[in-house]
Amino acid sequence: MGLVEIAAGKVLSSFSAFLFLTILLLAVARRISTCVLLFSLQSAIIAAEVFAVGFQERLAEAYVVGALVFLIKVVAIPYAFFRLMERLKTVREVKAATTPTQSAFIAVAMIFLSYAAVHSYGQSVHVPADALAAAVALILTGAFLMVSCRKALMQMLGLLVMENGIFLAALVTTFGMPLVIEIGVFFDVLMGLLLMGIFAFRIRDTFEHLDVSRLRRLRG
Amino acid sequence: MILLLPLVIALLAPALILTLRDPRAATRAAMFAGGLEAVSLFAIVWQVHTHGALEAGRYFRADGLSSIFLFNIAFISSLVLVYASGYLSHTGEGRFSSPRWFYALVFLFLFTMISVCLSADLGLMWIMMEGTTLASALLVGFYNTKGAVEAGWKYLVVCTVGIAFALFGTIVLYLAAFKAGMNPAAALDWVSLMDAVSRKGFDPHLLKLAFVFVMVGYGTKIGLVPMHSWLPDAHAEAPTPISALLSAVLLNCAVYALLRYVAIVSRGVGPAFPHTLLLIFGLASMMAAGLLILVQRNLKRLMAYSSIEHMGIIAVGLGLGSPLALFGALLHIFNHSVVKSLLFFSAGNVRQNFDTLRMESISGMAQTLPQTSAALVIGCVAIAGLPPFSLFVSEFAILSAAFSEGHYLVAGIFLAVLSIVLGGLAHHLFHLLGGEPKRLPARAKLSPSEYTVMGIAALCLLFFGARIPYLFDALLNQAAAVLR
Repeated sequence: MGLVEIAAGKVLSSFSAFLFLTILLLAVARRISTCVLLFSLQSAIIAAEVFAVGFQERLAEAYVVGALVFLIKVVAIPYAFFRLMERLKTVREVKAATTPTQSAFIAVAMIFLSYAAVHSYGQSVHVPADALAAAVALILTGAFLMVSCRKALMQMLGLLVMENGIFLAALVTTFGMPLVIEIGVFFDVLMGLLLMGIFAFRIRDTFEHLDVSRLRRLRG
Repeated sequence: MILLLPLVIALLAPALILTLRDPRAATRAAMFAGGLEAVSLFAIVWQVHTHGALEAGRYFRADGLSSIFLFNIAFISSLVLVYASGYLSHTGEGRFSSPRWFYALVFLFLFTMISVCLSADLGLMWIMMEGTTLASALLVGFYNTKGAVEAGWKYLVVCTVGIAFALFGTIVLYLAAFKAGMNPAAALDWVSLMDAVSRKGFDPHLLKLAFVFVMVGYGTKIGLVPMHSWLPDAHAEAPTPISALLSAVLLNCAVYALLRYVAIVSRGVGPAFPHTLLLIFGLASMMAAGLLILVQRNLKRLMAYSSIEHMGIIAVGLGLGSPLALFGALLHIFNHSVVKSLLFFSAGNVRQNFDTLRMESISGMAQTLPQTSAALVIGCVAIAGLPPFSLFVSEFAILSAAFSEGHYLVAGIFLAVLSIVLGGLAHHLFHLLGGEPKRLPARAKLSPSEYTVMGIAALCLLFFGARIPYLFDALLNQAAAVLR
């Protein structure tokens, strides 16, 4: 066995464990910058996974997708987040509604829940349960971050984590969607972030804070 | 190739409009482009009617079902553009600094919605559906007031998350097709999927799972309860022409996207599963919105809740699934678009004259704004489903289908909601029109652009109430044939 093959095998067998680790760390992180770095790390794991799948299944398209994931999610989006934080000059704390201990418990519960959820489907689609559970857990974590954190930036990050989960689900079950569609989805994610960035500035300028839980003028 | 024409126009128009700094020139360019757009869409509808489904490459296709939605887009967007030309010119300087941005974004918004109806690939359809959110978020937040910023943020976040579920559902459907041995290149194409799903034995669990996620995802965009939270805010805070576009075109595009999945999944696991889900969400929307209509204080929020109620009616019609109910639901999509544009146009006039939409600070409108009041009365009578207007026909079709299919509970709830809404609308309307005028309007008369579009909408309601034109009837039958 060549070195590359061994590396690809290792990546495929262990990436879910690393993803669970990022999920737990995301749940307990106190600073937005830590969360952004964790997101970047998480995306790097997924990019490695894409390359490994591409190598094992001999899919040339996967290398393009992997490169895109690396460029956009590992480099460009975290960089944009740091620039945005600098420009917004906002408080750096996450300000979650739950304490880190509670969040850690919730994150663990969500990982168990994901295993339970994919249990019946794992058999029928011939996918390792770990991989599918990691994908579902990422989606749940993203949703949890969006609900529990009050900062506009954290909601954007939660959305990205959710998107990572959906991407992973497509990757482990069907080796990814067709290339054209993947590129379109990436484009939408980027545009969505750009717009949310614009709105983050507008929220700060009109309300003088970035706490979206205090946006409650419109009711009923 | 004719399929690509409206898309090209809708992409070139913003580029052209953004170069025009003079608001008058930008408006004129927008009217011209809008006219071309409508003509090209009508041409597609006609071609589909005479020659059957059209294709352009692997990614674009139009059939009977798409053409009824394209017809709706062409008709409503023309009305909205003409109305906007008057609306923008009356709005004060500064607050509305650049009509050119407004029109450019409107055309991008139209581009994404037309693409949803023209895409042959479910992945592309999802991309464009997400595109509709992105293109319209800045329009919702256009006024840049506190309310508008909040509504825009909420709209962006809620719809993006909702639509993410639809992406997950699409992936699960792709997985089902992939496992059943379909070629990956064709596994997102709705014609090949509809063909393969009945022959190849897709995993029924996966199909059901896919449909649940897509129902929640696109249901968010349709505004079905309980995923509707963005809808009243966005409709109330957006500039009025945009409220009309959101309500009368965008929600329908989401219905269209969902219908493609209904057609595929019901061929795979039988129609009972998707139809039951549609009925549940539809009835929940009707009941919740029907009750919330009673307590509204803002005229445009009232209209927004009425949109949720009518999306519920459409979902119920689609969920009943018999030929008569399908006919009613598809007809109701068009009827609701027309009446909701008329109502939003009237609400826009109210806002421009009194500078508020809070209903408790407006009264005696019948004396001060007779023309707008007349339009409001026509709109409210029509939207309550009373004859002689066209919504009576479509709601009656759905209701009689419910009775003849033996869904007495559905029919009972349907009737109860309609009566509650009728009472609520009458209460609000008497309050607005009657009594002593509290303040004087800025200008009592309608401008030509306003009364033209409002007149066309009202006549259309009356005409379709009397009889459905032969051509439109043929369109409806073609569309229903796709779903059966």
